[in-house]
Amino acid sequence: MALSACSSSGGSTSTSAGGDTTITLLAADYGTAGTSNSSQLYWQGIADAFHAQNPTITVKVETIAWTNWSQVQTRLTAKQYPDILEGDAPQQLAADNLLYPLSDVMSASTISNLIPVFAKQEDGSDGVAYGAPFTTSARAMFYNKKLFAAAKIATPPTTWAELQTDAAKIHALGNGDIGYGMPLGPEEAQGESLLWMLGNGGAYTNASGAYDINSPANIQTFQFMSGLVKAGDTEPGPATTDRKVLWADFANGNVGMVGGSGALIPGIVSAGKLTTADYGVVAMPGKNGPLTSTLAVHDDITAFKAGGHAAQIKAFLDFAYADKYQIQFDNEYDLLPATTSASTSISASNPVAAGFLAGVPNSVVYPANANWNSVEAKIQNTIGTAVQGSSPATVLGSLQSFATNN
Amino acid sequence: MTQTTHADVRGAGPGQSAPHAAQRRSGGPLRRLARALAPVPWIAPATALILFVVIWPVIEMFQTSGQHYDDMGILQGSAGWKNFSRLFAEPDLTKIEIRTLIWVVSVVGITMVVSLGVANLFNKTFPGRKVARWALIIPWAASVVMTAIVFRWMLDPNYGVINVFLHQIGVVKQFNNHTSDWLGNPGPAFCWEIFVGVFVSVPFTTYALLAGHQAIPSDVYEAADLDGASHLRTYWSITLPLLRPALLVAVLINVMNVFNSFPIIYEMTAGGPGDQTSTTTLFMFNLQQSSVGEAAAMSVVNFGFIIVIVLLFLRASKWNTAED
Repeated sequence: MALSACSSSGGSTSTSAGGDTTITLLAADYGTAGTSNSSQLYWQGIADAFHAQNPTITVKVETIAWTNWSQVQTRLTAKQYPDILEGDAPQQLAADNLLYPLSDVMSASTISNLIPVFAKQEDGSDGVAYGAPFTTSARAMFYNKKLFAAAKIATPPTTWAELQTDAAKIHALGNGDIGYGMPLGPEEAQGESLLWMLGNGGAYTNASGAYDINSPANIQTFQFMSGLVKAGDTEPGPATTDRKVLWADFANGNVGMVGGSGALIPGIVSAGKLTTADYGVVAMPGKNGPLTSTLAVHDDITAFKAGGHAAQIKAFLDFAYADKYQIQFDNEYDLLPATTSASTSISASNPVAAGFLAGVPNSVVYPANANWNSVEAKIQNTIGTAVQGSSPATVLGSLQSFATNN
Repeated sequence: MTQTTHADVRGAGPGQSAPHAAQRRSGGPLRRLARALAPVPWIAPATALILFVVIWPVIEMFQTSGQHYDDMGILQGSAGWKNFSRLFAEPDLTKIEIRTLIWVVSVVGITMVVSLGVANLFNKTFPGRKVARWALIIPWAASVVMTAIVFRWMLDPNYGVINVFLHQIGVVKQFNNHTSDWLGNPGPAFCWEIFVGVFVSVPFTTYALLAGHQAIPSDVYEAADLDGASHLRTYWSITLPLLRPALLVAVLINVMNVFNSFPIIYEMTAGGPGDQTSTTTLFMFNLQQSSVGEAAAMSVVNFGFIIVIVLLFLRASKWNTAED
């Protein structure tokens, strides 16, 4: 098992006697390895169909769970480059001169079909695109209608003040229910934080793209969040609570409100506690009104130069970005497509996805600065303390100095 | 067996008796060389193993600490001492070092006291001793990761059995509240982690001490009895001094084990909130996510720290005389 993993990752150049080429694809697993929802099966399906049409090219598929994603970094350190990587953003790898420009590995018609809002996110520091979004998701707030009814709340909140009042009412029900779930644990603290910052006109960067983590608006935001925590309107220890825990609690009916994407829905279905009528999805409340543009995130495809397989990669990527496969992926994992044509067709057939998709075109995205990965890791590890004991100005200030000095 | 091997090695090595022995026994320089190399087949596998699993990683660790890796793990060249200067500029480092000290001293200290008592008890005959001895193995036999996860679940602010019990007896008024969130607050969380650390360390320590107990000859106790020594006096003047070798081994192994312990804190709080329950080992792991080089620098510091502890300890306890 271990041996086969080594050999498949190491061999990015293998051209057999008949001129056949093998290219390697390393992708994140959005499901569970070894089960029917593993992304291994999804990609293998595409690879098989592609091989049937292009008998001279074989695509070797390997998937790694998000929880073990640091293995990818280890492989890159060991110079075991795949031909195609699905999961990471391109900036740092492009700066390391490891990637093909996108136009070398994807035809113009496929590129023009990508949702434009993410285009800037794919550029290296030279302004050339080195990656393409493959899957996306948009954030909104889920709320539990049963708990809202029990706490006699008529409509979901649109402002921070309403959110605080409603959360307090749900907490006051006294059953140990959480008013607002605020996951600032290491798993996704950067997402939750940005959703709150947006509500006060802030973000991680300013208009010119420079880090501005400790802006007055952001400090004010975290002071408000800190007040929520102190009042008991959230779960007790946000700095150590991961999103998956709160999503599970929400699915079990114990959380009044939580930020989520479509990926929360399968959990609700499998827990079986809430029916479709028992929860609602609204825009995340901001300080004075709901967010007009929400956070959208995306995972990228990048292609490595080391194997020298530009033509084969191009053929495969054009094949894999077909609407059919985009839609298959989104139905499997309740995520959103990365292409305009797939978005149009999925909006027509899937009302839940349509709701989330409506926000994507004018959404806000994470910074595209070259050191964002390091900064993100630091945020995940420390930003939660800003609402739990430490002063927001200190915590955000040290994040800002980390971001600008590293 | 061991003694003959020792003698061979000494005889062939550059020791005092070697030249005489070689002159007497051998004809030419080739045979002398062959004789000198004779132990190699026996010691080579062990030496190779040590080089491979101990020395090599240490060299790699030192190398990594001087290199600059970007956040995708791509080597960008030498970092000089920058990883170290960044590490020492970390604002939380002092607190983490102090916390590490508290962690080691309290876990090892409590473990030793508890284990001395339990070992003394297990050395006496009482009904059900066999069952009790077996039962103590369980925390040791179970994976530490599993134990830590079980404790994390027992302390869950909403469903944890410990909280359910405390709720039923009226200590915890409401679930999902600050009073039921043991692992979200650094103070209580760290205390629970120390508790779990002791819980998993006691079995090994007890058995090490129990073996020490059983090595004490009974005639010493008979003599003390004849001289009219009290139980306390016997324990203080006979048992404890004769337990010294076992105690030393237990303390030394526990100190290194607890200092390097990763799974308990990782599974229960991951060192959070922020780094407020991190020891240096956890901090090293958390650093690795943003900077591999700085994490390597941290592990070099940890490595130096443990070497110093071991040397001090061996010196203070006069290891050699204790073993003789």
